[in-house]
Amino acid sequence: MPLDIDRFSHIESTIQRWDPRVKIASLAILIFGVALLKTLPMSVAALVMAFILMTISALPYHFVMHSMQWVILFLLPFFLILPFSYPGAADNHLLGLSFTWEGLRLATLIFVKALAIVLTSFALFGSARFDISMIALQRLKCPPMLIQMLLFTYRYTYTLLEEMRRMNTSMKARGFVPGTNGNTLRTYGNFVGTLLVRSFERTERIYKAMLSKGYRGEFHTLVTFRSGITDYVKAVIVLIVAAGLVVTDFSGHFSVATDGWY
Amino acid sequence: MHIADGILTGPVLIAGFAGTAILAALTMRRMDLEEIPKISVITAVFFIASLIKFPIGPSSVHLILNGLAGVVLGWRAFPAIMLGIILQTVLFGHGGVTVIGVNSIMLGGGALLAYLVWQLRLRFEFPKREVVFGTLAGATGIISSGIVLALALLTAGEAFVATAGYVLAAHVPIMIIEAAVVGACTGFLARVKPEVLAGQTGIRAR
Repeated sequence: MPLDIDRFSHIESTIQRWDPRVKIASLAILIFGVALLKTLPMSVAALVMAFILMTISALPYHFVMHSMQWVILFLLPFFLILPFSYPGAADNHLLGLSFTWEGLRLATLIFVKALAIVLTSFALFGSARFDISMIALQRLKCPPMLIQMLLFTYRYTYTLLEEMRRMNTSMKARGFVPGTNGNTLRTYGNFVGTLLVRSFERTERIYKAMLSKGYRGEFHTLVTFRSGITDYVKAVIVLIVAAGLVVTDFSGHFSVATDGWY
Repeated sequence: MHIADGILTGPVLIAGFAGTAILAALTMRRMDLEEIPKISVITAVFFIASLIKFPIGPSSVHLILNGLAGVVLGWRAFPAIMLGIILQTVLFGHGGVTVIGVNSIMLGGGALLAYLVWQLRLRFEFPKREVVFGTLAGATGIISSGIVLALALLTAGEAFVATAGYVLAAHVPIMIIEAAVVGACTGFLARVKPEVLAGQTGIRAR
């Protein structure tokens, strides 16, 4: 099941105890800083930082790796395409294709940066329950309507997932086997249509039920946040790291990935 | 189909967020209280429907259905897709925080274009027009997203020209699959519950 970033959010760690508002603000700055990097050494440094964050967050290795598999799978095509399609003179020939080191450097840069960002996002969102992260975002002045819709969607995702499973079971019971053919396409079209019709009717009931419980467009929560000196110390450390990475990257001590490895 | 972290440059990422903020503000104008839970539940439908996999030989592709979102939600498809992308970023742990803006424009923009194509059906009068225009809307949603994705890759530098080409080519089979599924779905909805479709009874079209 991919939909369970919350599964280990109860694990006590320095990151989990961090005030979610301060945590989201500072780690988001770090993530955007990493996205701006252009040199390989600094990207590798960012990846090391991300690993350190992961270790501090104490999230189980298998949990993180399960998601990372997909990320790596998604990034592998860059290694297959970029070294062979980079414009300019070829350095080598591999199986009749022109191979360039610049292309390989660029692919490596993208790979390292993406891994660093994904691992940091894991430490960010895996260390708190989804609803707590969302409420923290609202306190950080995200539009309340947006947060409300995210919480609703999240809540009904699980209800509808159950519904989809039931419909899937009944389809199998009637002998449906998906294949590469027009019948499967049509069946999926009707499947999504049925899901939409049922949900459309459900939304009417949900809205009436909410109105009868006094819904007037606001969500109330019992979650309270408290930030102290340790929360800000953690934030300052993360911000120094982010600034260090970006400033060193832009200072010209290292060459950008297309010009050299370091 | 979406773009991953670590590829695009800072200005493009910022432009993505700015464009998304503008489009979201425009498409969420005059939203009633009643629409909040409704759009959210329909967003959840699209979110889980995108987990459906269509087998192609030994591998499979998953449905995207941004065209169908346009057909069902009209202009409100943009906030719905933006919500889906944010939720995916937070829940799946596949990253994507820095590209929420770019991906929203890519898929949400495709949904808006699909809605425009879908509305063209009102100028015609023939028996299976919901199926035909549903099919066209499904194809529009995917191929316009593919074009935006390819353009976004081109901004990352000359090195990505070939990659952009491959990405665009990969969207063609996805487009055919989506067009067929969305066409079947709109045909089904037109028969079973036409008020779900945007602009069908005038309730949801704004």
